[in-house]
Amino acid sequence: MIEIQIGKLAEKFSVHRNTVSNWIKSGKLAARPTIAKRYLIDEAELIRFCDQFDIPKDFIGEFEKNDNHFAQNSSVQKKISGKNPLKQNPFAPEQTGVNTRQNNNEVTMTDKPTGSVMVVGGGIAGMQATLDLAESGYRVYMIEKSAGIGGAMAQLDKTFPTNDCAM
Amino acid sequence: MNVELLTLSEIVDVEGDAGNFTIKVKKKSRYVDTDKCIACGLCAEKCPKKVDDEFNANMGKRKAIYIKYGQSVPLKYAIDPDNCIYLTRGKCRACEKFCPTGAINFDDKEEIVSINVGAVILAPGFKAFDPSGLDCYGYGIIPDVVTSLEYERMLSAGGPFQGHLVRPSDHTEPKKIAWLQCVGSRNTNQCKNGYCSNVCCMYAIKQAMVTSEHLSGEGTEQSIFYMDIRSHGKEFERYYENARKGDVQFIQARPHTIDPGKNNNGVIMRYTNTEGRQIVKEFDLAVLSVGLEAPEDAPQLAEKFKIELNHYGFAKTKDFNPVSTIRPGVFVTGAFQAPKDIPQSVTEASTAAAEAARILSASRGSLTKTKTYPPENDVKDQVPSIGVFICSCGINIANTVDVHALAEYAKDLPYVSFVDNNLFTCSADTQAIIAEKIKEHKLNRIVIAACTPRTHEPLFQDTLKEASLNGYLVEMVNIRNQNSWVHQKEPEKATQKAKDQVWMGVARVAKNYPLDQISVNVVRKALVIGGGLAGMNSALALADQGYDCILIENNDRLGGNAWFLNHTYKGEPIRPMLEKIIDKVENNEKINVIKNAQLLSVQGSIGNFSSEIQADNEKINVNYGVAVVATGAKESRPAEYMYGKDDRIMTHLEFDAAVRNNNNEIKKAKSAVFIQCVGSRDEKRPYCSRVCCTHAVESAIFLKTVNPEMNVYILYRDMRTYGDREDLYKKARDLGVLFIRFNRNDKPEVSIENNEIYVKVYEPVVQLPVKLYADFLILAAAIVPNKNDELVELYKCGVNQDGFLNEAHPKLKPVDMPVDGLFVAGMCNYPKPVDESIAQGLAAASRAGVILSRDKMKLDAIKSMVTDKCDGCALCVDACPYNAIKLEHDSEKTGKSYVVSDPALCRGCGICEATCPKGGIIVHGFTTEQIQAQVDAALTNQLIY
Repeated sequence: MIEIQIGKLAEKFSVHRNTVSNWIKSGKLAARPTIAKRYLIDEAELIRFCDQFDIPKDFIGEFEKNDNHFAQNSSVQKKISGKNPLKQNPFAPEQTGVNTRQNNNEVTMTDKPTGSVMVVGGGIAGMQATLDLAESGYRVYMIEKSAGIGGAMAQLDKTFPTNDCAM
Repeated sequence: MNVELLTLSEIVDVEGDAGNFTIKVKKKSRYVDTDKCIACGLCAEKCPKKVDDEFNANMGKRKAIYIKYGQSVPLKYAIDPDNCIYLTRGKCRACEKFCPTGAINFDDKEEIVSINVGAVILAPGFKAFDPSGLDCYGYGIIPDVVTSLEYERMLSAGGPFQGHLVRPSDHTEPKKIAWLQCVGSRNTNQCKNGYCSNVCCMYAIKQAMVTSEHLSGEGTEQSIFYMDIRSHGKEFERYYENARKGDVQFIQARPHTIDPGKNNNGVIMRYTNTEGRQIVKEFDLAVLSVGLEAPEDAPQLAEKFKIELNHYGFAKTKDFNPVSTIRPGVFVTGAFQAPKDIPQSVTEASTAAAEAARILSASRGSLTKTKTYPPENDVKDQVPSIGVFICSCGINIANTVDVHALAEYAKDLPYVSFVDNNLFTCSADTQAIIAEKIKEHKLNRIVIAACTPRTHEPLFQDTLKEASLNGYLVEMVNIRNQNSWVHQKEPEKATQKAKDQVWMGVARVAKNYPLDQISVNVVRKALVIGGGLAGMNSALALADQGYDCILIENNDRLGGNAWFLNHTYKGEPIRPMLEKIIDKVENNEKINVIKNAQLLSVQGSIGNFSSEIQADNEKINVNYGVAVVATGAKESRPAEYMYGKDDRIMTHLEFDAAVRNNNNEIKKAKSAVFIQCVGSRDEKRPYCSRVCCTHAVESAIFLKTVNPEMNVYILYRDMRTYGDREDLYKKARDLGVLFIRFNRNDKPEVSIENNEIYVKVYEPVVQLPVKLYADFLILAAAIVPNKNDELVELYKCGVNQDGFLNEAHPKLKPVDMPVDGLFVAGMCNYPKPVDESIAQGLAAASRAGVILSRDKMKLDAIKSMVTDKCDGCALCVDACPYNAIKLEHDSEKTGKSYVVSDPALCRGCGICEATCPKGGIIVHGFTTEQIQAQVDAALTNQLIY
């Protein structure tokens, strides 16, 4: 999987960002949204798309390098490249180059865990865990069911023994 | 900035393993563009649909477009699709029409995002028990029966009655209020919650105490109906005793029926008192102290994450791994793990963070960003151009202080070039406005008239830095806590005071100058003091995070009190686990264990301490960035109940040792008697030792299991088997253990007659004194802290009245110590069982990791500075409470003496500046000139320049 920002992809294609959005909306380019207005695209899909419209593909490596934490395990990747219809394509040598690099990335991936944590619940416990981790070098995704964090403690009037305002 | 907050979101699917999970999250539609919403509240004002406000426990109303509460994060409105008229019936869109920024987006679609993480922490909290099903209390039928959560909202200034205590039926002030404990807890009859909810006793006492502040006049009465008062936390017992001495009545009874009072106002309560009499009593209001249940979505969450729940629906964990689940990489914390109070939740949140950090340490810093600021404009020599931002704090300030008149007034103050009113000056969009105005009006000093700098100064300093200004050019004026909250009844005078306050702020900020933060190098090494379970776990977690550790233990072996215990309350054997942990610690190459060690000296401060340690015959010098203090506690020697006169009279640890040694006498005994609170909860030690009730019950169960014929008695004052420890209490009663309650003023009497032990006690149920024969008498001796005097002296930290080491804040910083860079864990902080000691040990590792994760640390710039007026009189040296000032003598050049202040040690308290008779030492940000300007503004109403 490759993580892209629409703006960056549009730059590479030399089109307006809305055009890329429209491709994705209309299904011409299969991508699924992830956080922070970014999208995930299958590498094979991106290559297919580039080939369809005769666009050079050498930029793909850049995206991939930037976002290697989204790479998946190697068996899946191999399956995708196996199905790749571009094998007889004149660009094939480049293509294998891309894949090797990806595989290298994956080797380091399995060694190293992802440096981020998901905290489910935005009450006092969730918030404290989030702060501890965010302040010691981890990216934290905090998932809260309601419209705002604070949890039950925010509902309390005062707390003993100091009778401080709970807020 | 390294936190991504996804609200209105829920987990859909979880794939992968520890270190690499892929989690699909459903983001529901908010229908409001959070980038555009400025939280002006116009939409909610215009929205025609009123809905019960769940934040106010459904006692007030909110609109279909809402924010949860005034200080909500993110402070962005959301549309409730179940109630919005447009979304349910297709017409309205009033909010869209009135929104000044076009933030409403009815086309907002829910989306599923996929997130890659290395670990997961589940903290979904709890659900308050719903007493509607218990018809005997009439909740939902009688208007003046409310739950404790509803009552909490009734007391709150932000609640449905704006903090004026009135009862729901006729909105008059209730005089007589009753609290009913254990509603939906310790109850297997009407519901399935056999556990104790742990927090209700204390919140009921707190509510009663706060109520006495609200109520005035004669005839007020607060009564708490209880089974056992469980005030087993730090400083809780003292609070309970204060309540007993004050206005609060404690009645040991469980009311069986509540009927409506006259005209459906108030309640009539029926109960049986301890003497067996039927009592009928009227109250104006009844508060049901509802228990904590596992969250409703706990089963689904457990299924998705493939973790186990216990028989009460809470997450299942082990005592030696208090936040770990059966699935590696998934941790649980907070009330989801067991009903627990705020300090315990905050502690165990850090525990979970430590567990996550230790499996991800190889990738620490790989996905985080650090904040960079634009270069600072040099405004030091510019004429002050002051911007004043006046906050309404929703209605918190604006209801009392006329904020617009205040703004008009501020415009005419010297050097003020811009004044603005904000609904919430602290909101994210206002930060953007402030930054914009700084540029537009070339402001170089800012006054924020709002709330306290304690919570909000960092935010505004950040805003200034973003706008290329030094962070110390902002001054906060507290017109909320120090004004609108305390002068609610005198709005005119309050406005006048606010004017004076703003003037003082303006006068002072004009004299502010840019300050540079000092940055210190962090020695990325930790010192752990104490090699018990808490200390060892702390050291292991720090080592797993990649930091070197020095573990010092004053004994010749690691393990501490754990050597003397047999089982945890969940029945896990302690000895094998202890040996495993000791082995891990001693063989960990990152941990340097020093036994028979004594701390001799401490120099330096957070990030860079150095100490001399006496070990056997050598002295070792160590350098470290943080220290975890886990010096433990011990069982006291009882001074009563004939202890020491006979071997058959023993303490709990002695009993455990006898069991370990397979003492057959114990198994063959005919009768065993336990006496609780021996040396705890009395005048000398007015605290509860927390662990003894559970341990007594466990031991009684053991005796009844090995010998069902044995008579086992537990003489107690309040049984404090909190949480699911209550199961043990129930099991003991089922096995036939007899529990006899005694009173502090009528303690049992122990006698030895003809070499036989007898215990005389008043039995309250039969209301007669009884004499029990005892083959063994087991005393629950109080837990006392190990001596910490030297440590306290060396680190300048503090202990409470009972000798336990203090934490920085009893609720929000339960693991940090008041001295920066120090953390506390285990029983030296307060008596606690194995699982909680381990949890706090790990939590300390997480808190310490926050500091150790960086090379450099920035310190506050509010520090003392020696001026050339210093003549070395050294008055300030003795006055400095932090040992930051030293006297030096320049023998070579001038021959004069002078003082030197160490910025790393200085805390900016200002005592030196106040002591110095000649302006020889000043504190940046609090110079005499600045304070003078402020005082002049306050007193003379004229600025002197």
